[in-house]
Amino acid sequence: MKGKLVPIFSALAAVGFAVSIYCVFFVAPLDFEIDRATGRLNGSSLFFNQKIVYFHVAHAFVLFTAVFVAGISSALYLRTRKPKYDDIASASVDVAVAFGAAVLATGSIWAKAAWGVWWQWEPRLTMSLLLWLILVGYVLVRRFAGPSADRVAAGMAIFGMVGVPFIYVMVGQDSHPASGPNGVAMNFPAGERGPFWLSVATFMIWFVALVLMRIQSTRAERELRELRERGMDLGVL
Amino acid sequence: MIKRLNVIVCLVLLATTGAVAADTTPPDVAARCRDAMNNDPAFAKSITDKIDDTRIDQKLLDTHVEANARVQKNEAHVIYAYAALWVIAALFVIFLFFRQQALKAEIATLRRDLEAAAK
Repeated sequence: MKGKLVPIFSALAAVGFAVSIYCVFFVAPLDFEIDRATGRLNGSSLFFNQKIVYFHVAHAFVLFTAVFVAGISSALYLRTRKPKYDDIASASVDVAVAFGAAVLATGSIWAKAAWGVWWQWEPRLTMSLLLWLILVGYVLVRRFAGPSADRVAAGMAIFGMVGVPFIYVMVGQDSHPASGPNGVAMNFPAGERGPFWLSVATFMIWFVALVLMRIQSTRAERELRELRERGMDLGVL
Repeated sequence: MIKRLNVIVCLVLLATTGAVAADTTPPDVAARCRDAMNNDPAFAKSITDKIDDTRIDQKLLDTHVEANARVQKNEAHVIYAYAALWVIAALFVIFLFFRQQALKAEIATLRRDLEAAAK
């Protein structure tokens, strides 16, 4: 059954992608408002550009979930030293790096269309970039830090997890649309809510499939390390 | 929305054909129409109201034209964003696949060497 989980989740994600793309582009209404007084378009209307939000925000949700999974697994690993927790943490961070790159890329493109600039050094964006850099740091530590890499990396994952709530609820005078309970994602109009949550669910399933795939690699890496150690003991390597 | 646009188009067409027809309308018909408007304030008001409605619809049409221009302007950004998403996802899956294949090959080679050394 375990071997079938990746194909099952991948197939579910594929169906979800097809349905959510259809819903986002053909069912969800265009985001615009007409000023009742002037009869002209409201300046804050996002129009077609708003279609990016469905996947940009869904990716951000998955990024935060991945960082939490990694942080909690790392804490459990530091406490119990069971390798399975380390495998889950490592796999989650790898997937989080990919999703984080997608969040930053799509956010930047959205910013160019909405604000006319590719990037703004405002708190939320800067914190998101820092979180992504911490995750990249985790990957580099695991690769190059030697025998204690797993424990150092686990500490970094917990550190990264602590930063997530700050990004999510960060309020300020920044240009980024608000998040949190009163934010854009939680208050989509009726026609946009369905496609948005479908998109979030699809990317969550995709995240699970990717983590399971990556765990297989992590286990193979562990097996390889053990074989190398045995080889060195036997004098073969 | 399409129904509204159809109405606008019909009104614009009617207005255009009306203008063309006015040029060819016999003078006595134009005079009779003017007299009817002057004699009946309600009829005159209905005509001016219709013109106002047409003006409002023209404003709506302008709004739609402006909206369409903004949609087209944003289209490229949406395509870039979706391309970026799928390129990153595809690269990650390809990386995972090749990494897994390389690990499997290396494990198989090491196992063979260790078994050979153990014999």
